[in-house]
Amino acid sequence: MAMSDDLNAIQEQVDQMLKGAKSLEDLERVRVQALGKKGSITTIMHMMGKVPPEERPTMGKLANTVRANVQAAIEQRKVQLAREAMERRFSAEEADVTLPGRRLSPGTQHLVNQIREEIEDIFCGLGYTVEDGPFVETTYYNFTALNAPEDHPSRSAKDTFYVEDNAPEGKEAHVLGESDVLLRTQTSGVQVHVMEEKKPPIYMICPGTVFRPDTPDANHLPQFTQVEGLVVDEGITFGDLKGTLDYFTREIFGKDRATRYRPHFFPFTEPSCEVDVSCGVCHGEGCRFCKGTGWLEILGCGMVDPNVFGYVGIDPEKYSGFAFGIGVERVAALRYDLPDLRMLMTGDMRFLRQF
Amino acid sequence: MRVSYEWLKSMVDLPQDPQDLVREFVRTGTEVESVERVGAEITGVVTSQVLEKVPHPNSDHMYVCKMDVGSHNVDEDGNPVPLQVVCGAQNFEQGDKTVTALVGATLPGGVKIKKGKLRGIESLGMNCSSRELGLDDDHSGIMILPKDAPVGVDFLEWRGLTDTVIDCEITPNRPDCLSMLGMATEVSAMLDEDVHAELPSIAEESADAGRTADLVDVTIDDPSLCPRYTARVVRNVKIGPSPEWLARRVMAAGSRPINNVVDVTNYVMYLTGQPLHAFDLGKLSERDGKRHIVVRAAREGESIVTLDGQERDLTPDMAVITDDGRTPVALAGVMGGQNSEIDEGTVDVLLESASFEKGHISRTSRNLDLMSEASIRYERQVDTARCADVSNIAAALFEACCGAQVCEGMVDEYPVPALPATIKLRPDRVRALCGAPIQTSFMAQRLRRLGCQVSEGEGEHDPMTVVAPTNRHDLTREIDLVEEVLRLWGEGDVEPTLPAARNHAGGLSVEQRRTRKICATLRSAGLSETSTYNFADPRDLERLGMPERGKGIPVKILHPLVADQGEMRRDMIPGLLRSVAYNKDHGVQNVHLYELGRVFFGHEGKSQPDEPTYVAGVMSGRWADDAWNKKYANLDFYDAKGVVETLLEALRITKVRFRVADPDEYPWLQPGRAAEVLAQGELLGWVGNIHPRALGNFGIDDPVVAFELSEAPLLRLAQDELPYQEVPTLPGVKIDLALVVDESMSYEQVSQRIRSAGGKLLASVELFDVYRDEKRVGAGKKSMAFSLEYRAADHTLSSEEVERAHNKLVTKVIKSTGGEVRG
Repeated sequence: MAMSDDLNAIQEQVDQMLKGAKSLEDLERVRVQALGKKGSITTIMHMMGKVPPEERPTMGKLANTVRANVQAAIEQRKVQLAREAMERRFSAEEADVTLPGRRLSPGTQHLVNQIREEIEDIFCGLGYTVEDGPFVETTYYNFTALNAPEDHPSRSAKDTFYVEDNAPEGKEAHVLGESDVLLRTQTSGVQVHVMEEKKPPIYMICPGTVFRPDTPDANHLPQFTQVEGLVVDEGITFGDLKGTLDYFTREIFGKDRATRYRPHFFPFTEPSCEVDVSCGVCHGEGCRFCKGTGWLEILGCGMVDPNVFGYVGIDPEKYSGFAFGIGVERVAALRYDLPDLRMLMTGDMRFLRQF
Repeated sequence: MRVSYEWLKSMVDLPQDPQDLVREFVRTGTEVESVERVGAEITGVVTSQVLEKVPHPNSDHMYVCKMDVGSHNVDEDGNPVPLQVVCGAQNFEQGDKTVTALVGATLPGGVKIKKGKLRGIESLGMNCSSRELGLDDDHSGIMILPKDAPVGVDFLEWRGLTDTVIDCEITPNRPDCLSMLGMATEVSAMLDEDVHAELPSIAEESADAGRTADLVDVTIDDPSLCPRYTARVVRNVKIGPSPEWLARRVMAAGSRPINNVVDVTNYVMYLTGQPLHAFDLGKLSERDGKRHIVVRAAREGESIVTLDGQERDLTPDMAVITDDGRTPVALAGVMGGQNSEIDEGTVDVLLESASFEKGHISRTSRNLDLMSEASIRYERQVDTARCADVSNIAAALFEACCGAQVCEGMVDEYPVPALPATIKLRPDRVRALCGAPIQTSFMAQRLRRLGCQVSEGEGEHDPMTVVAPTNRHDLTREIDLVEEVLRLWGEGDVEPTLPAARNHAGGLSVEQRRTRKICATLRSAGLSETSTYNFADPRDLERLGMPERGKGIPVKILHPLVADQGEMRRDMIPGLLRSVAYNKDHGVQNVHLYELGRVFFGHEGKSQPDEPTYVAGVMSGRWADDAWNKKYANLDFYDAKGVVETLLEALRITKVRFRVADPDEYPWLQPGRAAEVLAQGELLGWVGNIHPRALGNFGIDDPVVAFELSEAPLLRLAQDELPYQEVPTLPGVKIDLALVVDESMSYEQVSQRIRSAGGKLLASVELFDVYRDEKRVGAGKKSMAFSLEYRAADHTLSSEEVERAHNKLVTKVIKSTGGEVRG
């Protein structure tokens, strides 16, 4: 039974060698020694011819078993070694996950434009278009066609930046410091342009830069941003104005905010009102933020005055409409409790990158 | 408009708590600026009686008094005892009733009364003059109260001096509310209460005093300046302090009492909203036994010294009241003249109650920078129809408060009487516009409360005819009445709805979406958006070194807030450089900003400028400070160019070229680091390093790279889609090629030559290295290493095919570039 002893010895020898194998290379050496062309098992297999025929089936079976065992042991050891190698790699590559990552630093959008886009998106969702107009406007579009009488105080050079008229011929004399051309004090003039060019139904907003001669301070800028809105259609009611602005207010300030409509006066709307939103800090109780009133003024609005329709040839008996104006910096200041609006204009990276 | 609660209460029933009225004001559209308690600052002042008056032992004019102050001074058992007060007044006797401020009392201006010693004698309070109590200017002695006055009660309460003043902001369309009578009417409509105002009337027109018409005549030169002028004469006025009730009301309304004549004119103005002016009749010249008032336009070169002592130069747009057409004696509707002012010696008064055209007053006030209580009311329009009534009220008060004799009648120049507006109101129209079920009867009732005459139709749906009161110039059309009805009914109660918007669609336009994409791409490329002033310093372009060519003429602001914001910008870069400087000055080194905004190019003969939109960026420092695992280089030309390339690629703009910018045309850029940006042959803008000289002018020491592009061609050339390109399925073969060429050869030239030499199989050409070394490459030469990829769409290339194609390419490129292959 020498052959069976040999086979068992081979099996034992291989097991020993596998224990000592520390790498895939060691493992390969073991495989070659046992199963290679000149390997111990292969050699025994070749000797099978010399085994007496009656023993051959037993010996053959034993040899096959040993070969299969050796193969399995090598495979098993291989898996184990691979796992160990991976574990060593993992441990070598272990990272301090609290170290900062490799970051990209995309730029940020200016706070005012973020809010402006938000407002655009809200009204686009309600089916409005977004319109545009000139910053350097004529008194006709900024005042006259908006029903502001010739001598309305808002026309004074104290409240309006007038610019040199480069085509002054044939025009009437003006109050000192005024002319027929100005930096628009409101985006409302775009209403008039749009009504001249389009027929109702009109559902539009006009976001844009406006100018007023206010010396810059914490609460004023001589250049700021307004979003004007206009709807002209058949059967538009004051209730529609309220429903629209209630929707807007909740979208921009939050679902839990209430609105308050206070009658007011604007030359180009009638009835007119100012809209307050309930204070987000005290929820209407009254606090420092809302100066104790519980309310924050956010916009002015009203039903389009029939005189304005008159200027653009829209029949006020057939159509009615509403208009509103929102101060974007005001919304920004309310939302972030900004201490000083001037920060919006310096380009300070430390400010801009916060938003 | 300061509204005294007590005064208002005398005309209309009010809620107990002024805050309830404030809420109603806000609900119906009168903004409340503040609510002020009058008298609240005075405490501890009581009525008293002088029990004993003894000369002060150490003074020849003071007295030591024992004052009865009731239970305000008690002994240990709680029994009232007299209070010792040292008093310097001379106008009282033992037994007189007066007013004493106790120790701990507060007087107007925060004056505190303390226990003190006057020349060695203890004083436990102070007897007060009416000036010390802030009642009027009388400081001639302590207040002597009537004999039947109670002793030891709170003085303010006893005299009814406590009041609440509600300061209301009146919108420009409601001059009627710049008067207490107007306010009473407004409140009556608000609360649905009656007005019960009693107005003073003249007791007796004195025949002795003569007829006004015999003493004065009035000529209105131009009725468009002055629709109505009434003059009335009152004689023998006794100038003196006003009675206390008058002084108090004038003070509550916000004026200081001056003398009875002036106070009456002010009081009546606050009561009715009609400004009055009192002339000293004696100071007007007499001709044919009469004074001649002429209202006319001022003449060029004329001037007047107004009551405030200022000499005012007049223009023909202003109206003046003149003495017989010659000397201006008042600037109509704005302020009186010093030459006809009421003073201590005034005996006879000519009272003006007139109406002036609001536009002239508004312009006059603006041009002279002179605002007065009168001009505020005139520029919003007064009630022309009531000038005469108001004059009568004032005359009655001159009679009652100044001892005047009222001359018979008045002179009333009123060429074209004003007619009240008659308006048809359709109740259904009101309901349709408001979207609210307002009852017709509510409309009629509240409009009547507002002073309208209302003739209702038969049914709920029939139109009503409304005649507006003459002081409501804002009520001329149906819509004006709709507003009145709605605000009184309650805007808050209208049910919110959304418009149906049939046959309408909205959303952003293609251009608007592209503009958003421009900004989003620049942000993802690392730039932050900023916003700078559209104003510019007139020296900006010069400072930058940017020629004015192509930028029109500046749009000049007539009255800029500051000189360095005197015009509208014609370029974006100066504002952005100011932001760079701001950051650097505040220790922020890494600056990457972009702005999308307008510039303004004016043109001679055109009122309005062109306003093209530009998109510009500035970059300085590094993208970020070095991190533990990431290092950053200083931003240079290629970073700025990279941003522009990224932008154009995102917009899918094709055939983009960068061309060397001629230093003569781009003097604000560093020569050799400046390029023009073109696409499809069209100039889009430029990219480059800002010239160090320009940076110095903006106070910046570090290099800044920048770009500026016109938005219009970007929007036009941008594409929302490009045709689909087959994704290669067969492998390509990559071969590197290092070419040594002259420095003068640009990348563009070399890469173009490679491409044109490549034939069909050349799939891509990528530059991966540029190398200069005098020894290895040679002086004036550079090595450019390209990775070339060969691929065929229909079969896998054999190595022979690739070799053949590459060799052919190399031969051609060497020939066309004059370079050689680096081994």
